[in-house]
Amino acid sequence: MRRERTAWQSWLRANMKLRFRPKALRPKKENVILAAGASLTFNAELSLLPSAPQAQPQTPANNAPNAPPGNKAPSLGDLGFSPADTKSNPKEQALLDKRTHMLKIHQRLGLITTIPMIASVATSINAGGRNTSNTDRTVHMILGSATAGLYFTTAYFAIRAPRVEGAKSRGPIRFHKAMAWIHGPGMILTPILGALAYSQKNNGERVHGIAKAHGPVAIVTAGAFGAALLSVSLKF
Amino acid sequence: MNGKFMNANRSAKPLACIFALLLLMLPQCAYAADEEWVLDQSTLTYHVSHPLHQTEGVSHATRGKGVCHEGQCDFLIAVPVKSFDSGDSNRDLHMLQVTKGAEFPMVTVRTRLPESDSKSATIYADLEIQFAGQTAHYKQVPFQLTVEGSKSKITGTIPATLSDFKIEPPTLLTLPVKNELPIRVEMTWHRQ
Repeated sequence: MRRERTAWQSWLRANMKLRFRPKALRPKKENVILAAGASLTFNAELSLLPSAPQAQPQTPANNAPNAPPGNKAPSLGDLGFSPADTKSNPKEQALLDKRTHMLKIHQRLGLITTIPMIASVATSINAGGRNTSNTDRTVHMILGSATAGLYFTTAYFAIRAPRVEGAKSRGPIRFHKAMAWIHGPGMILTPILGALAYSQKNNGERVHGIAKAHGPVAIVTAGAFGAALLSVSLKF
Repeated sequence: MNGKFMNANRSAKPLACIFALLLLMLPQCAYAADEEWVLDQSTLTYHVSHPLHQTEGVSHATRGKGVCHEGQCDFLIAVPVKSFDSGDSNRDLHMLQVTKGAEFPMVTVRTRLPESDSKSATIYADLEIQFAGQTAHYKQVPFQLTVEGSKSKITGTIPATLSDFKIEPPTLLTLPVKNELPIRVEMTWHRQ
């Protein structure tokens, strides 16, 4: 019996080859050597053939939820939409993304601009008149300059934002854009008139001539700017 | 006699084949006679909430079709994203951007309903909505059904959210809109 087992083990040692060949798996040969009394542990790794069909995530194509395959569920083509309606347009998406990005910056900078604008209006009380100090005027001038700088940067992002073909302005945005025709020229005039007034004051003169319009122009400009901001923020 | 029997047997075989074919074709003919539903009129309204605004966007450009088959009706409803009008062109263009409306121009809704539901006052639909390049499933969404002659009017609200479609909530004055995006559905269908 013992001799028989030894002979069988010798035969196994010499000849045993395991071959796994399930469907769609690459055949792999491995030699196994068994020592007398030893236990057998065999680790096999199975690999799929490249040509074998692999499990795909279930994506519902034309089938309704939980619909069995092969039903007659309607497709998008049955609804009569034109190809232009259903066609993906990554170029237009990129344009919209750029537009939104630029208008977001426009919105943020517009909000930031309100801070020095309100401050310049507030400091204007001490900047004018006969007994005002040079410091008050300088603070007002610095705040005004900051407002103008931020304003034109804000405007740049609105003007340079790409236009979408065929899109017509509707709703509050029309008022927002109309206000730009007031605060835009106002923001050009206000610093010029302010510089004239500042110069006249520093020379010990009373503000005279066209420079006298600095205050009223600034108020109209700030009012139009505020109205433009509120028109897209609050619902009328 | 035997030969005659064999001849008869031979001529019976094609007949049997034709009969079997006819039998196989019968269910196909029966399915072909099944009903179709066509969308007549529709109003889809999305609602967006913002601390400073309550906004609604409306579309009447929805198209839909339903095919009934073995007692089950498969419906497909589709609407172009850009057809929604909120009364503000700037907001509509922004909506188109955040929902990737140029890349994924259609919103499609698929559902399967039992044909018997056409007689119910309330139907509960499992909806599969494809929008903004994402697919979301809504289970047992209730819709009110009113039958007026040959037409069936369906009304209801789909409890959609922005996060269902991985849409980043748009902001106004740095404040984001609410995640909830309920879509009011009003549709009139007729059988064909």
